[in-house]
Amino acid sequence: MTFDLNALEADYPLVLQGLLVTLRIVFYAILFGAVGSVVLCLGKLSGRGPGYRVAVFVIDFFRTIPEVVLIFWVYSCLPLLFGLRMSAEVSGIVALSLFVAANVAEILRAGILSTEKGQLEAAFSLGLPAPTIWRRVVLPPAVRRMMPNFVNFLTELLKASSLLSTIGVAEIVYQATVLGNETFAYLEFLTAVAVLFFMLIFPLSLYVRRAETRHFKRTSR
Amino acid sequence: MNAGATKLAIRCTDVVKRYGTFVALDRVSTTIATGEVVCVIGPSGSGKSTLLRTMNGLETIDSGTVDVLGHTLPGPRRELETIRRRVGMVFQNFNLFGHMTVRENLVLAPMTARGLGRAEADEAAQKLLTRVGIGEQIDKYPAQLSGGQQQRVAIARALAMEPEIMLFDEPTSALDPEMVNEVLDVMRDLARGGMTMVVVTHEMGFAREVGDRILFMAEGQLLVDAAPATFFTAPEDERQKAFLSKVL
Ligand SMILES: Nc1ncnc2c1ncn2[C@@H]1O[C@H](COP(=O)(O)OP(=O)(O)OP(=O)(O)O)[C@@H](O)[C@H]1O
Ligand SMILES: [Mg+2]
Repeated sequence: MTFDLNALEADYPLVLQGLLVTLRIVFYAILFGAVGSVVLCLGKLSGRGPGYRVAVFVIDFFRTIPEVVLIFWVYSCLPLLFGLRMSAEVSGIVALSLFVAANVAEILRAGILSTEKGQLEAAFSLGLPAPTIWRRVVLPPAVRRMMPNFVNFLTELLKASSLLSTIGVAEIVYQATVLGNETFAYLEFLTAVAVLFFMLIFPLSLYVRRAETRHFKRTSR
Repeated sequence: MNAGATKLAIRCTDVVKRYGTFVALDRVSTTIATGEVVCVIGPSGSGKSTLLRTMNGLETIDSGTVDVLGHTLPGPRRELETIRRRVGMVFQNFNLFGHMTVRENLVLAPMTARGLGRAEADEAAQKLLTRVGIGEQIDKYPAQLSGGQQQRVAIARALAMEPEIMLFDEPTSALDPEMVNEVLDVMRDLARGGMTMVVVTHEMGFAREVGDRILFMAEGQLLVDAAPATFFTAPEDERQKAFLSKVL
């Protein structure tokens, strides 16, 4: 077996096009998933009632099923159940949005619940109105605490998006596989994918590691 | 305290607070007049903090009432906010907003709850910080200050709302000994300026010197309510004697 970089030369635009599709899908999944996550998080934070129970169920359900299964269900079952006609890419976005919503809801909730009791008591004792307490006292430090978890999840999401190749979405892994089929240069194309993913994800993990040591320094004083 | 002109600031009537079956406050009744400095002392777990926290509604109560500046607790939620704007509180652990500068800590409540403009709030903040002796620290973050400085910022933050009553919950207990006095000095000044103060403290010297009255608590009950001179020199209650023999 040889490793022939020339194999990439002619077809790398297709790989990059796949990367673009990957990024587009991830972008929309984050956008829609973020909205869903806020709703789910508030539902779960409410602590009781039907909204709470629905939120808990949705979060647990979409966090526990394997992403491949979720993707396949959305792709094949939603059209059957609701008569919706969706392209592979759209159903991929729907599936990943659900994946984002459930997971980010938990990240948000953990961040909010880790607010120190003393911070809230200080805010209460000043007679601050509830919206101000949320916006100025609870959220800024909570978001800072959540950042490493967000970024960790983003790397998971990027990797999970490659599973969309199984339903024929022309994202990066799909393109690489097709090109591999055509040229028999599987190794080269898949390695190129690995390199691109590494380039995307490595800075993120670096950020998380730095943030964690920073946090450690701050809290261990 | 001015003799004669006694306006009511706080009145606790048969206040009961339970945690499950545990009785943290056992029918506590007392009144505090405007301008009075009342020090609350007693052994750990006796309910001092709990009592203090009922005075601005941080702690709900199971029966009885707490009247604060003409409002009655428990009462409507909106009134709670009003009361809290008129009653400042200082905590053992400062509870400054760590992600804000000292300035932001001080202007947040006046701007959102008192409707002050930026410039006005800023000027007031600067004045207050100068008054508590840390005017130069206004653009620092709390973590860059010493404990004593942080507690003085916390006092200034509460004062920025121009409260009529100040509640202190062991404001010097988390401080290194060399920083205790800088905080007590600020509190002394406040007392001298006529502020109504309720101070939970283990600083017997301060209670004796600054307090108009001492409330002694044990096991959720208010056992003794006396002037400092009587309290420290002529104890009558057995638990009071036992407590004093340990701390004096
Ligand atoms: N949230 C709570 N749940 C259960 N018990 C509580 C709670 N808060 C306070 N208590 C109990 O109520 C009692 C009175 O507490 P409080 O904090 O008022 O005591 P304290 O006199 O301020 O003591 P210290 O000097 O240690 O601060 C204690 O026995 C405490 O364990
Ligand atoms: Mg206490």
